[in-house]
Amino acid sequence: MSIYSYFKQWFKDFLEIFDKELGEIFHDSGAMLIFFFAGIIYPLMYNGIYYHGLLDKTNIAVVDNADCPESREYIREIDATRECNVKTKCVNIDQAKKLMEKGKVHGIVYFPADYGERLNRKDQAFIYIYADMSSFLYYKDAMMSVNHVMISQLHDIQIERYREAGIVGEAAEMQAKPLQYDEEYPYNKAFSYQIFICTAILLVIMQQTMFYGMALISGTQREEKRSYAKLISERKGLGAGRIILARGSVYGMIYLALTLYVLTIVPRLFGLPQLGGFGDLFGLSVIFVIDCVFFSMFWSSFITRRESIFMLFLFMSPICLFLTGFAWPWYSMPKFYQIFSYILPTTFGVQTFMNISCAGADLVTCHDAVITLTIQSIVYCLLTCLTIYIEDWILRHKTQFQEAKEKFAEKAGVDIEENLRIIGGEEAVERYRQERQQKQ
Amino acid sequence: MGRLQNIRAVARRELRIIGQRPIYFFGTIVPLVLSTIFYLTFFGEGTAEKLPVGVVDMDRASYFSKALGRELGDNQLCKVVTYKSFVEARTDMQKGKIAGFVVIPENTYKDVLSFRRPTFAFYINGLYFVGGSMAYKELLTMANMGNGAVEREFLRAYGYSEDEIMGMIQPIIVECHPIGNKEINFNYYLSSILLPAVLSMIIIIILIYSLGSEMKYGTSRHLLRTSGNSITVAIAGKLYVYTILFSILGLGLIFLLYDWLDFPIAGHVWTMVLDMLLLVLSSEAMAIFFIGIFPVTRLAMSAGALYSILAFSFSGFTLPVEQMPTAIQSLAIGFPIRHYYLYYVQDVLYGTGFAGWWQEAVHMLLFLFLPLMVMPRLKKAYIYLNFPRN
Repeated sequence: MSIYSYFKQWFKDFLEIFDKELGEIFHDSGAMLIFFFAGIIYPLMYNGIYYHGLLDKTNIAVVDNADCPESREYIREIDATRECNVKTKCVNIDQAKKLMEKGKVHGIVYFPADYGERLNRKDQAFIYIYADMSSFLYYKDAMMSVNHVMISQLHDIQIERYREAGIVGEAAEMQAKPLQYDEEYPYNKAFSYQIFICTAILLVIMQQTMFYGMALISGTQREEKRSYAKLISERKGLGAGRIILARGSVYGMIYLALTLYVLTIVPRLFGLPQLGGFGDLFGLSVIFVIDCVFFSMFWSSFITRRESIFMLFLFMSPICLFLTGFAWPWYSMPKFYQIFSYILPTTFGVQTFMNISCAGADLVTCHDAVITLTIQSIVYCLLTCLTIYIEDWILRHKTQFQEAKEKFAEKAGVDIEENLRIIGGEEAVERYRQERQQKQ
Repeated sequence: MGRLQNIRAVARRELRIIGQRPIYFFGTIVPLVLSTIFYLTFFGEGTAEKLPVGVVDMDRASYFSKALGRELGDNQLCKVVTYKSFVEARTDMQKGKIAGFVVIPENTYKDVLSFRRPTFAFYINGLYFVGGSMAYKELLTMANMGNGAVEREFLRAYGYSEDEIMGMIQPIIVECHPIGNKEINFNYYLSSILLPAVLSMIIIIILIYSLGSEMKYGTSRHLLRTSGNSITVAIAGKLYVYTILFSILGLGLIFLLYDWLDFPIAGHVWTMVLDMLLLVLSSEAMAIFFIGIFPVTRLAMSAGALYSILAFSFSGFTLPVEQMPTAIQSLAIGFPIRHYYLYYVQDVLYGTGFAGWWQEAVHMLLFLFLPLMVMPRLKKAYIYLNFPRN
């Protein structure tokens, strides 16, 4: 066979498989729901849920037993911070606690009776916070607000005390704060929850919907006994390369469009940071989608029925999200999970996306992650080829497997016909007997 | 008596199905066990440790910058990475390799000694939730401690007593008492809701599959024949098996968390047992509702999957529900795990007893009315099989 005819045949097979797979997707309502409903709506939905990612004006209660000018000023300043809103002044801790149990306030600030007295005695005065731990964001708000006010008050009190000791003006400033510092938060300045979770969740949605959809399709194909792996023995000279490239391009094409939508349009709609250039985002999309295609293709090799994917792998979605390190930092994870996260495209895809769009990095800065994604793609591509040949071998030896299974069942004391009679009635047994006769 | 016998017959039949198809084992116990192991070990001790924090030392390893590096390095929470230039540190932060860094400008130590109030800067990487806020806390504490240390030396030189010095350096002390989670442990916080949410997801998916596969494999008529042509008996028989199975898993979870691992609990573990049983029942009700609305297995399963993934967000244990857009807020009541969470807050964090959680228990019981609405429709689908089978 000349090289020319080889390539001609190659492209013919490629287009044929491509065409078939594309048609299959558009005729499957489950896959359409996953690809187009989940792929398009879910990014919007999650951004909608987390749109006000900043918890502002958390209601708190104040118990002011000191009732002195200093404590009153402190309370006014807490009320003025972005984080907290002084909702009520309670007469005692019990009342405030009741309000917190009812969910009306999410924090209590308590000034003991000797607060003003201690300040005037130049002692250390205490303030107590009781934080609602039902969400850590409540705790963070109460802590941040009270501590910020504390730092500003601290400075005033210190200057006052130095003045009394006879140190005034610049000298007092120098004593009170010999070192100055600037706090800089270059990215996600206000610690918005939307930015944390949405940047991570967008690519996780892409990977997981592609995986579920592809598994749904290949599960159906296997269930209906027309797995793509059969093509290898059905047509002579057809290699696995054509099959996976043709099938892969179908999903790659759909998901390149979806990923670009998710990485460029969605952030614009919801005001997520967009520091990255289009070129970098496009490059990331291409690398990420190719990786996801081979990832999904490899793992969907284990799916033999159309519904099994949700039963077996749905629980992995939140795990993928946590492994990206969006909340719990990647470097604090146990070693085992750091290594485990190397099998997922999202770990590196999400980190690169965050760094590009929120921290203004480019693909060159993130070359480590890009290289990892590329290596992942190559490994998954090779593994997929391998599974195709293995599946082909299994399909060719199917009858042997079936017989072995039946023998094993017999040995274990399982009566297949009895089972069928109980589950599906006489008709099912009849059908089973007919099928066996046909085979023989 | 006939009904009870029929229920038992359906249950026996269901056990045969479960025994015959390994997917039931791989779809219930395996995901739950793997998730439990994952979340409980992932958060480890519940506090992030060894955050990499950069120090850009332009003061050429003076006494001050060395002391600062030591101070950070001694801290259990931090791990110091030193950089020679600002650009190197910034690039590493853009890559997400460090949680933050401090820049110590030239001549800092000299300036301190000669009262020139040097300014140093710290940069926080706010892109990773826990890492960012911890780094912020550590660096801020360190800056204030550094200030205090210098101040103390001066005050000592002036001849102040130690008590007076403390009054000068730290006139106000803020003490925080986090209620119900004193160590601010992330494991207690997240696993308490994530694991029940995973269980609820498994219940919904498995039960939809179990009810839907009757139509898919064309065995639904035989099921009705076994149940004496009553859909209520058929579902009761199936639930008989699944409720026992899922309750065992759920109670295992509760006792694992609150008894074996000793997660702090202000109320009583038996009230949480009730909470878990209600979660199991209401999730089952949701599953029947789904297959009743879409009597097509593939559609019901896809819809159930999309719904149960959203439940993680709508439970409101990370971003509180009242912070979500108003139009979306009301959707949260349609998720059993949301009520489980509110019940949990009352019992585990506050220990308020019946007065605190009865409303949530009622809310979860209300879910049990959902199946009643769709049962006639499901029965028709079972008899006529007039929907796409897959």
